[in-house]
Amino acid sequence: MGGTKLNSNQAELAQLARREHFTFFGLTLPYLVLVGAMIIAPIGWLFFLSFIGRDGSFSIENYERMINSKAYIRIFLTTFKISILTTFFCALLGYPLAYFMSQISRKWANICMIGVLIPFWTSLLVRTYAWLVLLQKKGLVNTIAVDLGLLSEPIKFVHNTSGTLIGMVHIMLPFLILPLYANMRAIDPHCVKAASSLGATSIRAFWTVFFPLSMPGLLAGLLIVFVLCLGFYVTPAVLGGGKVIMAAMKISSNIELYFSWGAASALGVVLLAVTMLILFIASKLVSLDQFGQRS
Amino acid sequence: MTDSSLNISIKDVTKTYGDFYALKDVSLEVLSGEFLTLLGPSGSGKTTLLMVLAGFTSPDYGSVRFGGEEVVLKPPHLRGIGMVFQNYALFPHMNVAENVGYPQKLRGVSKEETRKSVENALATVKLHGLGHRRVDELSGGQKQRVALARAIVFQPKILLMDEPLSALDKKLREEMQIELRQLHDSLNMTTVYVTHDQKEALTMSDRIAVINDGRLMQLGTPNEIYRRPENAFTADFIGESSLLPAKVKNGIATIGSKKLKGAQKLKEDGDFMLVVRPEKLFIANKKARDANHFEGLVEDSIFQGESQLMVIKLDPENYGERSLRLRIPNGSTSLGKLPDINEKIILGLKITDSYFVEAANGRD
Amino acid sequence: MKSFCMVKKVAVAAFLLGFASFSTASFADETLRIVSWGGAYQKGQSVGIFQPAAEAMGITVKEDTYGGISDVKLMVKSGADKFDIFSSGAGGCASGGAEGILEKLDYSVIDVSNHLPGMYSDYCAGADIFSVVAAWNTETYGDNGPRSWADFFDVEKFPGTRAMRAKVDSQLEAALLADGVAKEDIYKVLDSEEGIDRALDKIRSIKPHIAVWWTSGAQHAQLMKDGEVDMTTGWNGRFDVAKLDGAKVAYDWKTGIMDWEGYGIPKGVKNKDLAMKYIAEMMKPEYMAEFAKYITYGPTNKLVYELNLMEEARARQMPSHPDNAKHQMTLRTDWYAKWRTIAAEKYTEMMTE
Ligand SMILES: Nc1ncnc2c1ncn2[C@@H]1O[C@H](COP(=O)(O)OP(=O)(O)OP(=O)(O)O)[C@@H](O)[C@H]1O
Ligand SMILES: [Mg+2]
Repeated sequence: MGGTKLNSNQAELAQLARREHFTFFGLTLPYLVLVGAMIIAPIGWLFFLSFIGRDGSFSIENYERMINSKAYIRIFLTTFKISILTTFFCALLGYPLAYFMSQISRKWANICMIGVLIPFWTSLLVRTYAWLVLLQKKGLVNTIAVDLGLLSEPIKFVHNTSGTLIGMVHIMLPFLILPLYANMRAIDPHCVKAASSLGATSIRAFWTVFFPLSMPGLLAGLLIVFVLCLGFYVTPAVLGGGKVIMAAMKISSNIELYFSWGAASALGVVLLAVTMLILFIASKLVSLDQFGQRS
Repeated sequence: MTDSSLNISIKDVTKTYGDFYALKDVSLEVLSGEFLTLLGPSGSGKTTLLMVLAGFTSPDYGSVRFGGEEVVLKPPHLRGIGMVFQNYALFPHMNVAENVGYPQKLRGVSKEETRKSVENALATVKLHGLGHRRVDELSGGQKQRVALARAIVFQPKILLMDEPLSALDKKLREEMQIELRQLHDSLNMTTVYVTHDQKEALTMSDRIAVINDGRLMQLGTPNEIYRRPENAFTADFIGESSLLPAKVKNGIATIGSKKLKGAQKLKEDGDFMLVVRPEKLFIANKKARDANHFEGLVEDSIFQGESQLMVIKLDPENYGERSLRLRIPNGSTSLGKLPDINEKIILGLKITDSYFVEAANGRD
Repeated sequence: MKSFCMVKKVAVAAFLLGFASFSTASFADETLRIVSWGGAYQKGQSVGIFQPAAEAMGITVKEDTYGGISDVKLMVKSGADKFDIFSSGAGGCASGGAEGILEKLDYSVIDVSNHLPGMYSDYCAGADIFSVVAAWNTETYGDNGPRSWADFFDVEKFPGTRAMRAKVDSQLEAALLADGVAKEDIYKVLDSEEGIDRALDKIRSIKPHIAVWWTSGAQHAQLMKDGEVDMTTGWNGRFDVAKLDGAKVAYDWKTGIMDWEGYGIPKGVKNKDLAMKYIAEMMKPEYMAEFAKYITYGPTNKLVYELNLMEEARARQMPSHPDNAKHQMTLRTDWYAKWRTIAAEKYTEMMTE
């Protein structure tokens, strides 16, 4: 008797759980559809277009061109090189800054944060041209340095890779610092104390405890910066002086050159695919899960 | 017992934040192998003192010696102490075994030995076989044990614990109190334990240091602290007590017009307090020579399970507007029937239980 | 920015004027939308041509900027309806025409009988003539700058940094001229991959000295103004404007490669007939003369010279002035229609090496 009662109850509970499941899906379905439409559809369309040749028929000419021309390979290499270097320098500058901000009082950290975010308030174009004015051959920095006798000859800061990197790091730095700082603030300061009480020097405590705990924020920041860098157009165009040709620039010039989406879409598809591949390999190398949760 | 543990000698330790004294001239000896508890209300400076011992806070002045060696300038990682933090401070990116093995890894202990010592430490805290668990998969009590295992795995001579049980429920807390104490006895470490729970302090400690407003109020065994409070703060803070203000002149104490006899000799004149523990009061049928007596009305009577608590309003003519609390064990047969509310009764307090402390300023 | 505000003000003024002449004008309630390149160039067009011509016809013309012939393609292919007329280089129009995205111009409506030879095509009614020249910094070289393309490519005689265009247009011609090919033979040589490679190799030979590959007229004007490079290829009008602004820049017409700009109509616009009439109006010499006051891009309509609509001194600054034109070669859009994609890809490859 008691057994059957329990069983019927179990069935009801299972049904309740199922109903909750359906309600959940029912509620989220419109959003899933919307997000799917907004993300999947354009990518699918892009993919489809990349197989349309100049004469409007199905063709793989857009991919053939990429294989046959060394320029495309070089442009991809440049794109990834610049993105990786920018990400690297962002981490190099951003990590100590975020660390510093996480260790001072919240009041001062907020003031620092305003400083970090100020660049966001001016347009990307203005900031990019500001670097040009500052760093070109007869720009402020070179003029002052030469006048003071610090340099015998102006340094070529811009119209090359270094100029592109300076501009891009400047623009991307906040994207690295924001998630990293939030992560570092959430790290329990007692953990680091515990490490030193257990015998770790402050350097050791940093590397064995603080650094691994800041990893999720760092990885999030690196990922955001890297992915955003891949699509950069204005900054390399202005500060690279034509020496730095990134994929987005070629995509745009291909639309003009071939009068068709196909040539540009194929570049987009390859860029997307290579990015996914890199992220996949990266996720294999650094197991994200390892840093997953904290208590 | 003492060859592997160290005594701690704290002298004149003072720590200020601005013009606020977090610690003021604290001097204290912790014997080697002793379990000493820092007990005091919130904000009294317990954690600050513990942090001074651990080396995370440096005092403005004063000296801290471990086994005769001055350590006040030593950084925390060289002090060789085990420490359990109030929130455990386990490393979330390591599993249980990695957490516990962390101090061994720092010390360059071999893998095999580390594994053994980790196993031992986990066994000591009754967590065998949980080494592979992630920290966030543990219950509060288990986390606490892991923190403890991590603090003892390298066999430190000194163990510091900051309210390690405060996050646990009452039953688990009481179990852990006994376990911690047993662990201390078996491991032979000098332990400084922080709590604001007097019951915990009384249960676990060899000695208790009562701290208030950054000052050491009294140092003694639980028994001494309880029975012979040296000041109004300790008397009030430890156990339940009612304090009656008394005046002492020429060695004779009086409350209002009534003379009182006390257990100790009163050498100085001045304002004192009579410490009245509710369980030491009894209902006196007739006045006796070996006791002090107080007349009053029963104002309130509360059933509290194992005992009955009564509030007796003292005769205002003699004592002013004051009341005493009286605790009678339930089921005690010596009393036929409990007095009713508003019934007039006489209370007795044995002279040997009548203990005076100096009145503190502003305290009543 | 400033110039664009100006454009807007003028547009508003013209709009009001349009209303004022409501009763007399035949197209009073009609509106056309025209797009061009912005900056000093469109400012000149707006004040000198677009708005006066609209006023004369009693119609309203709204202006905007655009990104080139690819924008026209996107608009036509997606069926959007954003503008009726665009201002474009002859080459852009030619490739657009070949793609079938442009309306054929009706030269029975548009009078080009007085145009200089070759300054109009099926899809483009020529409006102004400009030249690609080699400009140099007079602070570096004084008066003795690179007065020929051979000089521009001679890094021993003229040490210094150079800038060239990031797009292939008119750069290969310059390279071949430097390599000793005669003006008349340029497109003969370029009519094969080998010829294109020959031009590219010439550019390769000075690549270490090319400090910047420019992408816009505003940019190469700024490069000269800031002294960032010692010499650059670029559009004569931009250098003249920069010179008025105090830039130390000079160029020689002997390096000139003449090219022209005109108006085209995207396929399928509703206002096609009105657009055609408006283009016809803009071809009148008085507008071209007015435009040339703002920037040194010469008229395609030779009546401007014949009727003396321009002051002699100003006329002499135009690329198309006979004294200047005789030194120059003329860019051929049919070569671009045939070779552009191949040449452009090879050019990019050379740049990325
Ligand atoms: N860094 C600091 N700056 C200023 N004041 C501090 C600082 N650290 C502690 N204090 C103050 O010192 C006093 C003692 O603090 P402490 O943490 O030692 O108290 P506690 O006895 O451990 O209290 P609890 O039982 O609540 O943990 C408190 O009033 C506290 O506000
Ligand atoms: Mg505390």
